[in-house]
Amino acid sequence: MSYELIALMMFSTMMLLLLTGQRIYGAIGFVAVASALLLWGDGGSELGFSAAMKLMKWYPLLTLPMFIFMGYMLSESGIADDLYRMFHVWFGPVRGGLAVGTIGLMVVVSAMNGLSVAGMAIGASIALPELLRRGYDKIMVTGVIQAGSSLGILVPPSVVLVLYGMIARQPIGQLWLAGAVPGLVMAGLFVIYILIRCALQPKLGPVLPKEERQVSWGEKMRLLQAGILPFLIFLSMTGLFVMGYTSLVESSAVGAVAATLAALVKGRLTFKVLHTTVEKTLGISAMFMWIILAALCFGAVFDGLGAVKAIEHLFIDKLGLGPWEIIIMMQISFILMGMFLDDTAMLVIVAPLYVPLVGALGFDLIWYGVLYTITCQIAYMTPPFGYNLFLMRAMAPPEVTLGDIYRSIIPFVIVMVLAMVLLMVFPEMALWLPNKVYGL
Amino acid sequence: ATGASALAAPAVLGQSPIKWRLQTYAGVALAEHVVKPAIDAFNKVANGEMVIELYTADQLVPTGELFRAMQAGTIDAVQSDEDSMAAPVDVSVFGGYFPFATRYSLDVPVLFNQYGLKEIWEEAYSEVENVTWLSAGSWDPCHFNTTKPIRSLEDLKGLRVYTFPTAGRFLTQFGVIPVNIPYEDAEVAVQTGELDGMAWSGITEDYTVGWADVTKYFLTNNITGAWIGSFFANSERWNEVPEHLQALFRLCMDSSHYYRQWWYWGGEANLRVNGDKLELTSIPDSEWNQVVKAAETFWEEVAAESDRSKRVVEILKKYAGVMEKAGPPYRCV
Amino acid sequence: MPETVKRYVRYVDALNRKVGLFAMYLIFGMLGILFYSAISKAFFLPSLWTLEMAQFVMVAYYMLGGGYTLQTGTHVRMDLLYSRWRPRTKAAVDSVTILFLIFFLVLLLAGGYSSTEYAIRYGEESYSAWAPKMWPIKVIMCIAIFLTLLQAVATFFKNLAEAIGDPIEEIGGEAVS
Ligand code: NA
Ligand code: NA
Repeated sequence: MSYELIALMMFSTMMLLLLTGQRIYGAIGFVAVASALLLWGDGGSELGFSAAMKLMKWYPLLTLPMFIFMGYMLSESGIADDLYRMFHVWFGPVRGGLAVGTIGLMVVVSAMNGLSVAGMAIGASIALPELLRRGYDKIMVTGVIQAGSSLGILVPPSVVLVLYGMIARQPIGQLWLAGAVPGLVMAGLFVIYILIRCALQPKLGPVLPKEERQVSWGEKMRLLQAGILPFLIFLSMTGLFVMGYTSLVESSAVGAVAATLAALVKGRLTFKVLHTTVEKTLGISAMFMWIILAALCFGAVFDGLGAVKAIEHLFIDKLGLGPWEIIIMMQISFILMGMFLDDTAMLVIVAPLYVPLVGALGFDLIWYGVLYTITCQIAYMTPPFGYNLFLMRAMAPPEVTLGDIYRSIIPFVIVMVLAMVLLMVFPEMALWLPNKVYGL
Repeated sequence: ATGASALAAPAVLGQSPIKWRLQTYAGVALAEHVVKPAIDAFNKVANGEMVIELYTADQLVPTGELFRAMQAGTIDAVQSDEDSMAAPVDVSVFGGYFPFATRYSLDVPVLFNQYGLKEIWEEAYSEVENVTWLSAGSWDPCHFNTTKPIRSLEDLKGLRVYTFPTAGRFLTQFGVIPVNIPYEDAEVAVQTGELDGMAWSGITEDYTVGWADVTKYFLTNNITGAWIGSFFANSERWNEVPEHLQALFRLCMDSSHYYRQWWYWGGEANLRVNGDKLELTSIPDSEWNQVVKAAETFWEEVAAESDRSKRVVEILKKYAGVMEKAGPPYRCV
Repeated sequence: MPETVKRYVRYVDALNRKVGLFAMYLIFGMLGILFYSAISKAFFLPSLWTLEMAQFVMVAYYMLGGGYTLQTGTHVRMDLLYSRWRPRTKAAVDSVTILFLIFFLVLLLAGGYSSTEYAIRYGEESYSAWAPKMWPIKVIMCIAIFLTLLQAVATFFKNLAEAIGDPIEEIGGEAVS
């Protein structure tokens, strides 16, 4: 059997199985072990478990449950309530101001944790009902929350950049810093979009009623204190790590402890909260890790059967493309795959094929990490497959339909693509901060 | 070019060639030197009768499972030291960096071919099911390269380094904290703060694989002058290979050993003098002697572990004695 | 569905719920080890066992959680078509496609058995200076995979029962699939 045929068979079987709606890790894992059993030869049956041992040794994965725990703890701790009130009062008098405030809230939440789930949970439970109650357009606000929460993986800390860093063998501290400016730029673009849209169509984001705007300056300043706790959490985790006091995995534990302390300080740390948090944490962690296990197995089998050669051959010899054309094609293929595939699986299966090629073409792998993360954000947003879609469907009030959710993301995906183009034209956007901090 | 020729391979002469998967301990950058030239040469000369596909550190199976994978046939052959893949034989403690066992890389082939280590190794692996030990060659010396300078034994305290199990076990008495992670993760681990550096190689490897970019200092004292690393194969697979291809594989292992002899030897001296990424530091001999003395105790401990280990230690001592009596250039005491 | 099958499903559900409850609190084990590591590194000498120990706990955590999370329906699916089907169609398709998942788990277990047997026979130690024995974690992994497999089979029965229009009642569990 030729390498091309093996590659084609493995991918198409996987896609087919995924379409049946069976659990993703089951579909990927099956294709991996079945191909090994059929084509590997002696010892092919060992590859599944050997992937489990490989996963064990992948030390940055320790940050995953820590970040998830932290995210849920933060959303339970009530930190976000105060923050929301702060943004609400400060931005309320502007057309679309509450939506702008929600983006601000999402940026702060993103700076406190490494995934998008916490942002989604906070956005959907705190911001969404308030926005709807004040007559904001449901499509607009659903989009705002989904787009805003996706910043969780771009604004440091970021689990996606940790996983990318391990695959591309790039320093995580620099990757995180590289995501900061593009993350803020993207948030800025979201804000600009909201302001322009609401200026043109005031009905989408009405100004707060007069009585709600009557807040004294003293009160406004007092509300700013809501930012203190998040800042401390950011400092205890990302700060200590970037300054070199704690290692990556240690910093994630420090962050989890900090979030728990924050809940304690806020008087929210009941046994029920604790139990809900650990239960949800296990659910999401196990989901991610079983997928990574299956994907690692898939990767090893794909590689050992020589199918990787077929991919290299395709990109380098057959297509005869220039470096930029290859990068753009890769991003497009990521976005297309991301529509159907879970982004973790995509990272573990596809990135090892692409990243060495990107390096060989002479591109900066830190820069590419940020580009990749934005692609993940788009993949995460776009139907039919995306965690935000599941979460949104589960959390949104009944008047928000699936169609609304799908439609809501369109303008924000366009903004993300714009951000991606900006990053391609101005790589300094990503590279300036890490170069400055690490003095390169 | 390899991609294209490998793609064409299955069709040669209409017969299916013998196909092996060989996984090396080395990451991509290092494998370019320590094994790839030899495997490329093998594939060329074998002319389609046999094809060896080379995989780098942890690529197919993680290092911890490497030995078992070879035994089960998941991997056909392996290039590694026995220490880091935890080969289940008593002598694996010597296969890697056994503290102060060797001074120069030429010591290793001499010990194996003239002082009887080869026979002992063959004996040891004959007791393990379905794995054949093929050949040992030598690598570079074991130095520290770290983010903090080491100028006295005191500086070793609390240092988290990526190192070999045996070297790690030996170094803990000086306060070193050995950390074990996949080879290719070591560079990032320095940057994520999991490691303060490595006690893994000579300066050539530091520059080749990128470790010199993430650490600042290189300690000129070494705890061993040359690493012992070997080639192994799944016994069934090895026995299926026709004699002329076995002979060819032996030639290629020797060519890999030979490449490393000059590549490391030349690199070590050159990069100390002309390299600009690592600052050299030293621990004064008077103080370093404590480490050398500690190794004597360590040797006795290991010798007491099994009869075979005792025989190996005796050989190492006998060899060291001859070299010292011979004087310069063999040993400059 | 025969009574034996129903009993099996209930027993496995209950078992994995208990194991899951244990697994979810292992997060504090991981948290504790890593936090201790951060503190000891900052103020005292770092220890050589923390990272590896945390990795062992992490593996026990997600693997022992395998059965429970399968039961509670936490694992994501690509639901482009799936979400549009009626519950019974879902159950019918699931009862076939879960066999793929079962196949994966069986092979995972086969590899696990082989690797554990090796670890016991040769007294395998981790290739680190700490050098813990490897068999305990491997045994835990095998048990975890086995429990997940039991749960997958239970899920198969649940799917099948629903597909033929005779669903197995759940005791305090979540909805099927
Ligand atoms: Na973040
Ligand atoms: Na998607």
